[in-house]
This record gives sequence, structure tokens and C-alpha cells, in this order.
Amino acid sequence: MFIEISGIKKGFGEGESRVEVLKGIDLELQKGEFCVLLGPSGSGKSTLLNIIGGIDNPDSGFITVNGEKTADMNEKNLTIYRRKHLGYIFQMYNLIPNLNIKENVEVGAYLSDNPLDVDEILNILGLYEHRHKLPNQLSGGQQQRTAIGRAVVKNPDILLCDEPTGALDYNTSKEILKLIEDINKKYGNTVIMVTHNDAIKDMADRVVKLRDGMIRKNYVNENKISAMDLDW
Amino acid sequence: MKNPLTKRLPKELKSELGKYIVLFVFITGMIALVSGYLVAGKSMMNAYNESFDKYNIEDGNFESFQQLNSEVLKTLEEEQVEIYENFYIEENVKNNDSTLRLFSERKEVNKVCIMDGNLPENPQQIAIDRVYAKNNEISVGDTLTVGEKDFEVTGFVALSDYSTLYQNPSDMMFDAIKFGVAVLTDEGFDSFTDSNMHYSYSWTYNTPPADDIEAKTMSEDFLEVLSQNTMLTNYLPAYTNQAIQMAGNDMDGDTQMMAVLLYMMMAIIAFIFAITTSNTIMKESAVIGTLRASGYTKAELIRHYMTMPMIITLLSAVAGNILGYTALKEFAINMYYNSFSLTTYKTLWNGEAFVMTSVVPLIMMFIINFLILAKKMKLSPLKFIRRDLSTRKKKKAFKLNTKINILTRFRLRVIFQNIPNYITIIVGIVFANLILLFGCGLEPLIDHYSKEITSNMISDYQYILKAPLETENPDAEKFYANSLKVTEKSEEGVNVYGIVPDSRYIDLDLTSEGIYISNAYAEKYGINEGDTVKLRGSYDETEYSFEVDGIYYYPSTIAVFMSDSIFCETFDIDAENFAGYFSSTEITDIEKMYIATEITEEDLTKTSRQMKNSFDGMGGLLSAFGIIIFMLIIYMLSKIIIEKNAQSVSMTKILGYSDREINSLYITTTSIVVIASLILTMPLVSIFIDKVMDIALSGYSGYLPFYVPFSVYVKMVALGVVSYAVIAFMQMRRIKKVPLDIALKNVE
Repeated sequence: MFIEISGIKKGFGEGESRVEVLKGIDLELQKGEFCVLLGPSGSGKSTLLNIIGGIDNPDSGFITVNGEKTADMNEKNLTIYRRKHLGYIFQMYNLIPNLNIKENVEVGAYLSDNPLDVDEILNILGLYEHRHKLPNQLSGGQQQRTAIGRAVVKNPDILLCDEPTGALDYNTSKEILKLIEDINKKYGNTVIMVTHNDAIKDMADRVVKLRDGMIRKNYVNENKISAMDLDW
Repeated sequence: MKNPLTKRLPKELKSELGKYIVLFVFITGMIALVSGYLVAGKSMMNAYNESFDKYNIEDGNFESFQQLNSEVLKTLEEEQVEIYENFYIEENVKNNDSTLRLFSERKEVNKVCIMDGNLPENPQQIAIDRVYAKNNEISVGDTLTVGEKDFEVTGFVALSDYSTLYQNPSDMMFDAIKFGVAVLTDEGFDSFTDSNMHYSYSWTYNTPPADDIEAKTMSEDFLEVLSQNTMLTNYLPAYTNQAIQMAGNDMDGDTQMMAVLLYMMMAIIAFIFAITTSNTIMKESAVIGTLRASGYTKAELIRHYMTMPMIITLLSAVAGNILGYTALKEFAINMYYNSFSLTTYKTLWNGEAFVMTSVVPLIMMFIINFLILAKKMKLSPLKFIRRDLSTRKKKKAFKLNTKINILTRFRLRVIFQNIPNYITIIVGIVFANLILLFGCGLEPLIDHYSKEITSNMISDYQYILKAPLETENPDAEKFYANSLKVTEKSEEGVNVYGIVPDSRYIDLDLTSEGIYISNAYAEKYGINEGDTVKLRGSYDETEYSFEVDGIYYYPSTIAVFMSDSIFCETFDIDAENFAGYFSSTEITDIEKMYIATEITEEDLTKTSRQMKNSFDGMGGLLSAFGIIIFMLIIYMLSKIIIEKNAQSVSMTKILGYSDREINSLYITTTSIVVIASLILTMPLVSIFIDKVMDIALSGYSGYLPFYVPFSVYVKMVALGVVSYAVIAFMQMRRIKKVPLDIALKNVE
């Protein structure tokens, strides 16, 4: 098993105001699998993604990636883990505002021992002609594509996407989803995508539904469709 | 209902405590220092100005070769002046090998201010100058051996015409260590022999001159009459008398310098406030946008965001003024009392200082913050919510060569993104380095000057005789001397030497009609070989013109060298009327009473000695002040740079960048700017100080060459680097503390 999530629990706050966000999550994912984590706000899906990404720690339980337990890693090793294995895509892009588009992608490439060709990625993402622009000169969709480029260029084993289309319109959302789908197919990364858009589940290999910190459904999508065929 | 936003202020203070403490300390320290100096300056200046009337300070003094008879005095007093005897004797003090100028009781002119103890009451008692006593660790009740007599010290005094202890009017610097003044009873004074008596007379005008220009005209007229009636050996109108004028000029200069210092500092602080305010708006943009969208007016928000900077400035002004009127005033007063023999003073309220240190900074802060906030508040609420605060059209990023490593390009982008911060850092470094150069360079400069003077003395002994007497000493070499004045720019005296052929002491080819001038003269007045210099007589209007054949390395004195024959011809002096001797050994076969002046190494180093005494401890204090300014500015601005980039720092952490790599992106850029500024601005700082010194010392006699050894620059850079390392370490910790979830919470 490439990713094994076992008994993850996580709560926030103290005493009476404490909220248990994750109440024991068990999940296994294959390498190259496209997994969609669905759920309403407060279901714990982003918290779970952050724990998988090594930027938050569980109260109990563990995660192993390719046989390595993240709980055993100190801060330095967690940094190396993120550096070597993960690509992150957020709802709000989080680009470095003073770097141009190409440089933002290069910031990702720098971290990899075996990065993809930056110009090729820019071409794939349709950003080559905008490569010298600053992020704030681009539309939301173009900025999200840049964030995808930055995540993908280091050819990560795992691509974590936290509501990547949450701030985009319908058409742009579909374009972005198509890009992620293409990247998953072309490079074989394991994709874990958090969304509350129910329609997106149809393009996933695996669908995990969360509610109140627990997995309510976990199934393999037998009727997977292309991102461009999604509708909502 | 009270604006609920005010409840945020304590929280804002708590969350940004470090920033506000730094700003508070910075502004308070500055205001305290300036306020202290201004209050002390005004109080002392007031006492100094009042002393002219209170102690009836002379309008000038002259010294006659012999005592004037009543007929001459009557003739002189017909010139609408009052003449007073102010005879003195100079004697060696055995206790500390110094010179005391002894006066009898002063009842009418240049009266005495008792600072401690009492005036002498019997011939065996003496009251000495307070500064001289302090420098030589003499206490009331001690016994001093003056000449061959013992005196009991009954008190410390300030002589109103010796607020600065200049022994000779031509001295570059006063000497309150090896020279002092003292008062004896009339009987005590008469117990000394007449042979050493200086027949000095003070005069006051019946109608005092309105200003220095009138004083000059009046003194020139009086000089004409004087020189017709007596043989003058010295003539010194009060307006040119450094012993009377210098303390006032110095305090006046300090007040102006402090004002400039304050405004420079306030400009830097204002810049820091401008940057911090912009940064606060950026950080709070979502809140501002939401509040604006909820109906809060621009004015309400401007008021809210201006409150903290204004409170901090106000508190700093209050604390700064309290410190200024107490500890710092005492500090400044002590500095003046350490150097000058000033009379007693009363602390005065200084309205001008209050305006400069409190009203002006508050207005400055108000305007800067208001302008920035008002400009930003013009943006729509939506723009604030979207964190899109650029008021200008979106600019394209300039291209950087893609062959440059991405981390290097990243650093370059950080530098370009933070140009206002870095400009402020550079200005702050220049400013701090100016202070630091003063602090670190003062002592080596004085030491170098002292060394230069002693290693370039004409001879170990130089004697000016009252009459041309022969000596058997084989090392002695005659010379001729006259004292002229520089006609241009200043009234400064020039020593003119007539040198015998093939001199053993002056290695110059003085065969032509031209002259050589000392390098001190050449450098101070910008005279080159081939130029013509014009000089005039000290006591008459005769003008002399000489062509400069060359420059002679003689750094201690403004001097002119010519052949003895040209000298005698120019000044119409007989060959046998030489002025004195240069000698490598002491001349013992001429009686002391015939020696007018004996110049030894000690006399030539009095300037450096006094400067060292006056600036004692100042070097360390200035260095510390420079370092503190340096650290505060860099701390504030590098903190802002990191805060501004917290989002990016968080994101790079999420991407997998290590702390070292992130430090190299955000700290290395500041390090490059700081270290490059430290090194590259050094020549600028050096040139600036050189010019400031030229201007500051132009009013002084003599010449102090600007000299800073390379080691001082190395020390300054090293101090800068070490201080910066402390700040960098603090900022590294700040970067380490930037949480990963900042990027996750981002709502653009």
C-alpha cells in the first residue's frame, strides 16, 4: 500500500470548547490513485489533508507513505518528506507575489532532484507567454495553473489539492480539473483532492466521504468520467 | 456609543509589543538627548550671556612692555574707554608641573564667580579655577607650591574672562590641564617679584559696541591710539578673545548640531513609521475592507490606525522630556562644566526645545501617517478584502537573466520588493556610521595629530627672547620671527620665521625671494605652490604679499618660512635683532627673565591633551549610540520585511524549503544590503566627516588634519557585522516561528 492512514484522531481547543475534528480515520491509497475527499464544511477533510501533508500533527494514529511513518519524523525530516514526496495546491494559490510566473514554478523545481522541464510545464499549462508576468497580473485560473505548475514540476509522488477550484468559475474550474487529471495520467502521481463539490467525485478513482470527523463512505468509482464531462 | 474599535488598541499594543517598545525607546532616547542638550545649552548660554554684565567682562585687553603711567592712561581714556589694571604673573606649580596665571583681587572688571569654598583672605591663600582643579585633582584645603611659595587652596572660582582656559590667543585649543588661572589677595600677589609681571590692561567702552562689526571698528581705532602711546606686546579685543568667546560659540554650535541630529533622526523614524503603517494596512486589509463594507467611514478608520503611532510618539515625547530635563540635562551640563570654566547657572524652561522635541515630532508623525492612511483609504472596500492595495497600475516584473540561479533571483526580487525598507536601512547605516566614525575615530585622530606634531617639531627647544642675547650653546641656531594675520577668511595669526642660511633645523632652500608655508597653512587655506599669499600686520594695516615657493611639512602651526635676509628686508629689522633660538638641547646660559616664551613638546601637544580630556569617554558613548541606532533601525526594518513576506515564508516551508534555505532568501538579502552599505558608504561617511571637521574647525586657530587609520574602518565594519549578527539571529528565530498555517489561512 502506498499511503496507509490508520486511526487518525485530531481535536482543537481545550476543555468544553474542544472540538474533535477527526474521530479515527482509516484509509489506504494505491500509488497513482486519484482520490477525492468529499464532505461539508467542518467535516475534517482539510485537517486530514494537512496531516497527510505533514503540516499538522494528529493527536493519535499514524500515516505511512511508501513504508515511512510520518509520526516518527522530526521537523527536519518532515521538511524533507514534503520536499521529496509532496506537491501542494491550495484554493488561494499562495504564489510568491514578487516572483514572476516562471520563477514561481522554478521555486518548486529547485526542490527536486529530478524536476520536470519548467518551460514544458509552462507550455502544458498555457502559461508560457505569461511567464514574465507577476501573479497579480494574471486571472485566478492562470494563478491556479501556476500553483499547479509549481506543485507538479518537482514530479512529486503525491499531489495534495485543497479545494483547488473553490475560488474559480465553472469553466475555469473544469480546465483546472482537466489539468490535474492529465498530470495524474501522465506522471502517475497519487492525487488527493479535498472538495465540497459533489460533482468532482465522478472523475476520481476513489471517493471518500467524510462527515463529523468520520468516513461515511469509501468506495472505488467504477464509472469514472473525464473532467471535461463533469457538470454541476 | 464609544467606537468599539478602540478596544482593539490594547490588543494591537500587545501583539506588536516588540515593535512599539523599539520605537518608544528610539524616539524617547532621541528626544531625551536633544532635549537635555537644548535645556542645558539654553540654561548655560543664559548664564554665560548674563555674565557679561554681571561680572563686567572687558571689551578687550592689551599688554604693554612696561607699566603705563597716569598720563598715558589719561590719554587712552579720552578715547571713551575705561582702563583697568589686570596684571598677572605666570608661575609653575610644583605639585603637577603646570602653569598658573595669578591675578590679584578683581573688584571692577572681569569679576570672579565663587563656585566652591571662599576667596583668599590672607597672602598665603589662593582660589583656583574649578576646571583646572578638577583636572589636576586638587581639593579645597590642599596646599599648592606656586613658584617657590606655598598656598592653601580656599576655593574654586570661575574667572569671567577665562570661561575657556586659553593660555595664548593663538593656541588652537585651550589647556585646562597644564594651564589654570587663580586669584590671590593683593598682598599675596605683591609678594611675587616684578620681573615676571605681565602689564596687562583691560578696557571697557563707555558705549558698548552694538555688534562684532562695530566692535571691530572701535577696536581698530583704539589700537591706533594705543600703538602711538605704548609698546604693545599683546592686543586682544574681546570679540576675538577665544577665552571669552569659545564657550558661547561651542554651546551655540551644539544647540544647532543637536537640532540637525534630531531632524535627521526624526526623518528616519518617520520613514520607519511610514513603512510600518503601510505594513499594518497590508496585514489588516481584510479587516479594513470588511469594516468599510460594514459602513465604517474612512475618517473613523484613519483615526483608529493613527492612534497607536500618535500615542507612542506622545508618550515618547513626555518620557523624553522628563529624561531631558533631569538625567540628560545633568549629563550635558557636566560635559560643559568639564570643559569650560563657566559660572553658576539656573535651569530654564526651554520653549524652543519643547517645540523641537515634542510638537514637531508629533506633527511630523501625524502628517506622515495621515497622508499614507488617507491615500490608502481611497481604495474600495473590495480591493481591501482582496488584499489588492496597489494604487498604481499593475507593473510587469522586470526580467532577470534566467541563467542566474533561482535562489539568487529570488533574493534579488526580495531586494527590489523592499527597496523603501532597504533605502531606510542604508540611510540609517550612513547616519549610524557618522556617529560611529566620530566615536571610533576621535582618539586615533587626536593621537595621530599629537604624534605628527611631536615628530615634526623644528627643534626640541624653541626660545623667543625678550631681547637678542647670545648663547654659548653650540646647538642653538638663531631665527627671526614675526606674527602676522591672515587677511582673508579669518583673523588667524601666522608665525613668520626668518631662517639662517644652511639651517640645521629647517631643511629648506630659502635662496629665492619667495617663501615656504607650513602644510598646516596650505591645507587649511587651500594654498598651493606658486600661489601668492597676502598677510597683514597684527597691530597695523600693513599688507604683505609673498609668492609660495613650496610647502614645508610642519603640521602644528600656521607658519611661513623665509630666508633671514628677506625677513629683515621685509620687516625692516636689523640683522642683530633676532627673535630667538632653535636648539636640540636646553639653553641654560640665558636668564629666564629674558626668555619671553619657551616652546617645548608639552606646549605643542596641549591641543591634543585638552581634546582628549574634553572628549574623555565621548568616544565610547558615541560608538554605543551609533551601534544602538544601527541595531534599532535594522531590527525594525528587517522585522517588517519578514512580516510582509510571512505568507511566502509559510508557503516555502510547506513546499519543503528548509529553514536554512528560507533564511538564505530573506536574511541573506538584508545581510547583503547591510554589509554592502557598511562598506560602500564608508568613503561617503569619511568625506562627510572631513568636510564637517573643516567647517567646524575653520573658526579655530591652527590646523587639525583629518586622519582615520584603516583599522578604524575595519573596527567599524566589524562592529556593524557583529551587531547585525545579533539582529540576524533574532530574525532567524522569527522566520523559524512563522507558522505553516499562515498560507493555509490565506484569503486573498
